[in-house]
Amino acid sequence: MRVLHLKTSQTKLFDIGISFIAGLFFTFIVLVLITLMTTTSLHELYRQMRSSVVISAVWISIETSIAVVLLSFIFGFPVAYLLALKQFKGKPFLETLIDLPIVMPPLVSGLALLILFGGTGLLGKLLNKWGLNIIFTKKGILIAQLFVASPFFIKTVREAIASIPQNLLAASATLGASPFYTFRKVILPLSKSAIWAGLTMTWARALGEFGATAMVAGCIPQQTETMTIAIYMGAMSGELATASALALILVVFSFVSLLVFKSGLKR
Amino acid sequence: MSIFLEDITKYFGSQKVLDKLSLKIKKGEFHVILGPSGEGKSTLLSIIAGLLKPDKGNIWIDGQLVNELPPQKRQIGFVFQDFALFPHLTVFENVAYGLKARGVKNNKLKERICFYLNMVGLDMYRDKYPPELSGGQKQRVALARALAINPRLLLLDEPLSHIDAWQQEKLREDLKQIQQNTGVTTIYVTHDQLEARVLADRVSILHQGRIEQVEPPEELFYQPKTGFVANFIGATNILDGYVSKMNDNNVKFKIKDSDLTITVKKYPIFQDKRQIRLCLHPEKIILSLRPEKENHFLGVVEDIKLLGITARVNVNIRGLKIKAIVPRKHISSITRQTSVWVCFSSDVPHPLCGRCHRLPPHLRRCNQCRENKQKSVEL
Repeated sequence: MRVLHLKTSQTKLFDIGISFIAGLFFTFIVLVLITLMTTTSLHELYRQMRSSVVISAVWISIETSIAVVLLSFIFGFPVAYLLALKQFKGKPFLETLIDLPIVMPPLVSGLALLILFGGTGLLGKLLNKWGLNIIFTKKGILIAQLFVASPFFIKTVREAIASIPQNLLAASATLGASPFYTFRKVILPLSKSAIWAGLTMTWARALGEFGATAMVAGCIPQQTETMTIAIYMGAMSGELATASALALILVVFSFVSLLVFKSGLKR
Repeated sequence: MSIFLEDITKYFGSQKVLDKLSLKIKKGEFHVILGPSGEGKSTLLSIIAGLLKPDKGNIWIDGQLVNELPPQKRQIGFVFQDFALFPHLTVFENVAYGLKARGVKNNKLKERICFYLNMVGLDMYRDKYPPELSGGQKQRVALARALAINPRLLLLDEPLSHIDAWQQEKLREDLKQIQQNTGVTTIYVTHDQLEARVLADRVSILHQGRIEQVEPPEELFYQPKTGFVANFIGATNILDGYVSKMNDNNVKFKIKDSDLTITVKKYPIFQDKRQIRLCLHPEKIILSLRPEKENHFLGVVEDIKLLGITARVNVNIRGLKIKAIVPRKHISSITRQTSVWVCFSSDVPHPLCGRCHRLPPHLRRCNQCRENKQKSVEL
């Protein structure tokens, strides 16, 4: 009984310690949010929300981030499928390549994309011939966000597909199902949660993207100015009210979206 | 459908899992492949199903070479050890999966699914999801799913190993019944001898990537042909020695490291002074308080273990340890340290001469005998 009592005390002490550290962390996050909320009055927020700069930035961010989510799904799913289920030479190299945009500084990614799609770049020259200009346009935002954010989707879905028991795929094959039928009826439904999680992470990353986007698309107000770029520009040019309002909108929007997504996953 | 596996060889890295394995399985046969874990039984099934490619060898199904045929086109039902049911589909949808993949229309589909669900006794559970079922029920669904595609061959990979003991017996009986009713050629892989005894028309013993012996269970379990088979099936009385005297109908066999000499029915392999290994099946030994049969030796009971309706008795005969499996009622007067006669007739011990396949009775001679005969003819 003595030992048991000792154990219980130790457990309590451990729990208190853990809770204290976790509490510190939560306090830190809440403090950041409170700072944002108290910087802007409701009246100012309402006024800013009606300004054309803010409306345009919000709209561009939503538009491009949703497009990036769709593009990530279209291009990312085959990549995730390939990396999860197929064995081939050079697979570890490709897996590392997919991880690279996550660890690369966004400014470096932006610079590489700027050179690649610029007037003298390999793809830039080719696209210019077809009359397509990427740099300092909304297409540039898409390219930058796709490059930086889609690996989050690919990694999540690749792990989910790889975790599907191989016997399920084998059973499907012996039952006469073609690889496409197996993909539609087994792989897709069983990786549904991971797809949603991956898309949400991609969306959140795209929405918050700044460095690469600024390098490739520039900061042209009401044309290529996303919310994050508008916040930066506002803060740098002394328009703290606009920056704070946009920051608050971004945070509230992200928080609500994540909450909705999580409750959807639980259901 | 008849199956012929011809010299199947499979490597995993540098490890040879299957080594020129050859096996013929007749149409409608319930064939059990028995062997210890890790001997390549599941690999063999995967190769037959087309899920793995052999490094060498051919797979013939009804005379058709199917090596290059993908699993989708082999029409082979596969029941996996871990059930491999689709967790997001109901029982009905799981059983319907193969038919839907083949484009069977809805009205026909429903009828067929109900037929197979009835066959495995799960019609009531059609709307349940796999996680809501017991192990036995899951395996029944897997069986119905495999049968629903009307397979020309059914493969079962240790289907009872993840099922509670109390459900195994019923499922075993049902499995045999269903196989007999459908007549589908079946290959069943297991490491459980009881399953092989109860289910098989013929049993193959797989060892070191090769088939060690193929025979109907009643012959295989009482007439093991190699030391490995004898040990694996529990016929653990293996006697090393030599033929000390040849008579017309029997021989005298001197057991190595013992002063015992036993009388053994004359087998063609026997030659005077020849070193031989004999198997003395524990179930064919009689323990008696009086001497019986041609061979009877007085020994001391060292241990008794009760195994349900039988008992395993270890007897020490002047240093030679013999195991006997006898009906429990026969040992009521036997206790530890009791003296008891170990009795067996001369046709009970048989040589372990490594013969693999059972030939028709008129050709039943072991390889060594044939070689010897051939040599003598040549001389």
